[in-house]
Amino acid sequence: MGDRDNPDYKILVVDDEPDLERLVRQRMRRQIRRGKYGFEFAGNGVEALEVLAEKQDIDIVLSDINMPKMDGLTLLQQIPEVNSDLRSVIVSAYGDMENIRTAMNRGAFDFVTKPIDFTDLEVTIERTLRHLDEWRAALASRDKLVAIQNELDVATKIQQSILPDTFPHLDDCEVYGCMHAARNVGGDFFDVINLDAGRIGLAVADVSDKGVPAALFMMSSRTLLKGAAIGVEDPSTVLREVNDLLNETNEAAMFVTVFYGVYDPSTRVLTFSNGGHNPPLVIHPDGSSEELELTGGLALGAIPGFEYGQANVRLNPGDLVVFFTDGVTEAINVSNEEFGLESLQGLFQAPPTPSAREAAEMILQAVKDFAGEAPQFDDLTCMTLRVADE
Amino acid sequence: MNVQVENHDKVLVAKVEGRVDSSNSQDFERQLQGAIGEDVQAVVIDLGQLAYISSAGLRVVLLVAKTLGQRNVSISLCALSDPVQSVFEISGFNRIIQIYDSQADALAAAG
Repeated sequence: MGDRDNPDYKILVVDDEPDLERLVRQRMRRQIRRGKYGFEFAGNGVEALEVLAEKQDIDIVLSDINMPKMDGLTLLQQIPEVNSDLRSVIVSAYGDMENIRTAMNRGAFDFVTKPIDFTDLEVTIERTLRHLDEWRAALASRDKLVAIQNELDVATKIQQSILPDTFPHLDDCEVYGCMHAARNVGGDFFDVINLDAGRIGLAVADVSDKGVPAALFMMSSRTLLKGAAIGVEDPSTVLREVNDLLNETNEAAMFVTVFYGVYDPSTRVLTFSNGGHNPPLVIHPDGSSEELELTGGLALGAIPGFEYGQANVRLNPGDLVVFFTDGVTEAINVSNEEFGLESLQGLFQAPPTPSAREAAEMILQAVKDFAGEAPQFDDLTCMTLRVADE
Repeated sequence: MNVQVENHDKVLVAKVEGRVDSSNSQDFERQLQGAIGEDVQAVVIDLGQLAYISSAGLRVVLLVAKTLGQRNVSISLCALSDPVQSVFEISGFNRIIQIYDSQADALAAAG
């Protein structure tokens, strides 16, 4: 609650009628005494602008129309330049619809007619203040939203910045990867890690849930995975180490599904361990395809001490391996239908298999076309390994 | 998404209906945690009417399972549809949470 020296709301009355100040102070004396309203007075538009420039805490301007030096309608046009966080109420002659309409067009919030009925004026002032309060609250929450959105944008940039953007393009194989982030920051990532003896570490992962916590969990998962991949031979051991490290501090029960494989171009063998991730698809040059086995894994971060399985597959010339996250197969269209694994397989029925880059881009484009106007809920990640033709 | 709760003696049965994804997983967590009282000895989550669960939903199941584990309260799932069963198999959660074919089986085991 305000007091006389520090009222809840400040109203600037602009009128060239000298008796009005005395009248307002008399008729509004209770509100002034209780600290509800405080009043300032100006004799014309020019004086009003001077007051507004000096006192930035005016909430309402109550202005007459016909005044010397600067009239009320001109004043209305000038107000936003000195203070945009107030509302104007115009005092006009009864039935002067033309001026009232002009005033409203110039941003007046409401009007009262002469001679001023003070009960009516108070109702108008209260309505204007209620509107102003709501407007200010909306503005404040918008500012908060903008701050949150900025944070999410930063997290999205971090997420994008850690993804590889150059890929091995060797004589005997090529790799490509891309991700389309959903509006809410998700936690997909993929990585291509150069290992010794020309071997390549290939990881694709999906963190449970969305938002900044997921992005942070994704960051540490990716760093731990890269560290383990460089130091450890077996993919199953890599996942076990990362899982144990992630479990050391994980109050929120977050987890990350990870497929990690090591491809040796000299033998064309892909050795892999699947930590709860949807299995990659191997597509052969004749258009047939199969999923890689699950290796009895578990999403990382769920429980410590889990032993991961491992398997390997020998690829053939022209084979294409598609590593992806469930954002691809579970993308939905406006009829709530899923894109599904069959649609993914269907893209590659006509031989020969495309290049790694073409394949990844084809998949993301097909998902986009399928989803149409439906909003994208999840990150779409796709990484491809294409064995060179013979 | 909707969670309905029934009490069978000291066993709490929570029936989950609809879809659980990142848009409603927080609500799912609130409803599930709110339904589990102090004196519960076992929890059976009936997923018979669950059409879809995303990883955000799995996280809630894991969180509840971990919380209950610390209190020595058993938890099991039952009546999973094929697509939901497949989500649990791929993520490997079927290895750390007991899953039964029917609510009757789950109740018999919990009883």
